Amino acid sequence: MLHYFTDPVLRAPTLGAMFMCAAAGLVGVIFFLRKQSLLGEALSHAAYPGVILGVILAALLGFSDLQEASLTSFILWGAFVTALAGLFSIYFLENRLKIHSDAALCLILALFYGVGVLLASHVQFTLTNFYRQVQVYLYGQAATMTDIYILIYALLLLVIGAIIWFFYKEFQLITFDRNYAQTIGIPTQFLDGILFILIVSAIVIGIRSVGVVLMSAMLVAPAAAARQFTHHFSKMLLLAMGIGAISGFLGNYFSIELGVSLPTGPMIVLSAAAICFLAILFAPQRGILWRMVRTARFRSRCQQENILKAIWRLGQGAGASLEHLKRLIGTNSVELAFNLWRLRVNGWLTHRGAHYELTPDGINRAAKIVRLHRLWEVYLVDYLGMGAEKVHRSAEEMEHILTPELERELTLLLKDPKQDPHAQPIPPAPFPTAEV
Amino acid sequence: MERNPYFGADFFNFFLVFASRIWGFATGTLGWNDLVSDEIQLLVLSGIAASSALVGTFLVLRKMTMLANAISHTILLGIVLAYFFSLRNVESIEGHGSGALHVPTLLIAALITGVATAFLTEFFTKALRLQEDASTGLIFTTLFALGIVCVTVLTRSAHIGTEAVMGNVDALQKEDCWLVFLILALNSILIFLFFKEYQLTTFDPALAQALGFSAMGFNYLLMVQVSATVVGAFRAVGVLMVLAFITAPVLSARLCTHHLHRLIFLAIAYGVTASLIGVALARHFLTSYDLALSTGGIVVTVLGVLFLGTLFYYLFLPQRTQR
Repeated sequence: MLHYFTDPVLRAPTLGAMFMCAAAGLVGVIFFLRKQSLLGEALSHAAYPGVILGVILAALLGFSDLQEASLTSFILWGAFVTALAGLFSIYFLENRLKIHSDAALCLILALFYGVGVLLASHVQFTLTNFYRQVQVYLYGQAATMTDIYILIYALLLLVIGAIIWFFYKEFQLITFDRNYAQTIGIPTQFLDGILFILIVSAIVIGIRSVGVVLMSAMLVAPAAAARQFTHHFSKMLLLAMGIGAISGFLGNYFSIELGVSLPTGPMIVLSAAAICFLAILFAPQRGILWRMVRTARFRSRCQQENILKAIWRLGQGAGASLEHLKRLIGTNSVELAFNLWRLRVNGWLTHRGAHYELTPDGINRAAKIVRLHRLWEVYLVDYLGMGAEKVHRSAEEMEHILTPELERELTLLLKDPKQDPHAQPIPPAPFPTAEV
Repeated sequence: MERNPYFGADFFNFFLVFASRIWGFATGTLGWNDLVSDEIQLLVLSGIAASSALVGTFLVLRKMTMLANAISHTILLGIVLAYFFSLRNVESIEGHGSGALHVPTLLIAALITGVATAFLTEFFTKALRLQEDASTGLIFTTLFALGIVCVTVLTRSAHIGTEAVMGNVDALQKEDCWLVFLILALNSILIFLFFKEYQLTTFDPALAQALGFSAMGFNYLLMVQVSATVVGAFRAVGVLMVLAFITAPVLSARLCTHHLHRLIFLAIAYGVTASLIGVALARHFLTSYDLALSTGGIVVTVLGVLFLGTLFYYLFLPQRTQR
């Protein structure tokens, strides 16, 4: 795998694509947080006519299709100019004509792209040598890059990174609290301008390896993946940059290793998307899988506590049959059986056949839950002035949530009451209440 | 077939020849088999323009054009898979093979892609809690990338995907007219039947819900119509430029009127006019400069110019109160 970085033919595409995608990841984070991810989609298509204008201009000035480096700079400038023009058009449509941003983005995307196709057909018939160059920018083709590109793209990544580093505080502020930024005198318009130049640059850099059609994915996917792992702006920037670079590498790797000559752009995008989907599913804290596990755990705990409470209510030493419990809890048998098993393992429940009884530990635990329930009812009636007939439902939920600290606070606040609003006795506190 | 009568015509001669041809068709001296390539292009492009204007009006008013953009990307995967599963030669997507079109397969592909795209985007937003712009951006780019990879693997050629996004009007055959006009008829009938419902769910979704019309159901129906329109258009103008047909005429017309009926008819007029001028210009460039430019590109450019013209009219002429 290391030869991707050392081999004279492979190192330029690999490193070039990695730098490009890293730059896109960096800029993508800011626009992801501003909820403007689709701006990149419009601007990358708007760069297409510029690519071709650059080629036409280079051809008019007498460059040949073999002078890659100078041709590339023409293409980059052309793409930069039309993408910027697209940006201004969108800005004008949205602010001056009050066209909704969604329609404005779509219009600019399609019109600029159409003009690009028109120009491309012109190149195809008049400057046939250059047509291959034009095609490359549609889906991206890293394979034909030479060492000079490593330098160009490393420099561009460095410039983008430096600008973000320099304006880090300001960008953070205008992204998260625009109004505050304005009141303390931060030039938001100027910073917006810089951000727009950054996104246009990132797109212009990226289209060589990913292509205009798919460029927007590289602005979205690394940022969305990074968001799953962190709440910090700075860490998110670094993570997105890393994820971008990894996708750049994997895209190159798969486009070569899979045997069929696959275009690089789609492979890079698929790598980035795969990382993003995995992050959405499995990331700790925010991942869907963990969320589901957490929900299931809480649900199971609630039901276990309800079972303890139900048996406790039946009276000291009474116990309940499985059928009886099923009626009381009202759930499916599988879930009930699982929770009964958990309760037995924890030592809160014993059973003889299908007859369940609480252990001494279980009695304490059940009493504590009932105590929380009734304390909360007292609190609602005495302090929030709710009617005694309305408080049961809220207490049914709170009994599972109240922590020992809160229980202590409530006991102090309510002066350790002995009865709840329905004149039911509240089980005594598990701690000394002498200080009340 | 005899010589193309438009051969050697410049921009104005095109319209002279066109007028005489129409007279010919109207009086019955010319029949279906006498259609030449310019007229096929014009018919297909106008049909696409009319379909797009019909669905585009509601898309723009519902602020859902980006979902149309998403569908225009994902439809590539749908089309490729449709060809793959109907065991047809994938190269015939490009129109080189014979019997290139299998209309029911294409329409089913459109149906599935439209619903799947809308559903996936919604699923990522609601169930996986990804913000809306990001989930739209992520879904369609991923599916589009998959589409390109599938095309490449199935045809073993890296360049075959280009025509799907650029279109190729010159490869159109008479059979393409059928598909386009079938879809136009479908769109017209659906819009005509559900006009009130579309109007209601567009302008007051809350009231529509209260009256028992499912706004979401009509969203999905609209998505299906959009994907059918894109399927009809992809051979002629490619999956991306059809977006210009969907948005540009509607936004141009939107500058001129606030009435829904007028908006629809004006948008159709803009689209058809642009198609006519575009085809004429393409012929003009071929005759005068020997340049075979992409007709689809020209039509989109004309749409842009028409929009700009309307914009100047809107900005610099004294505003009338009644529009």
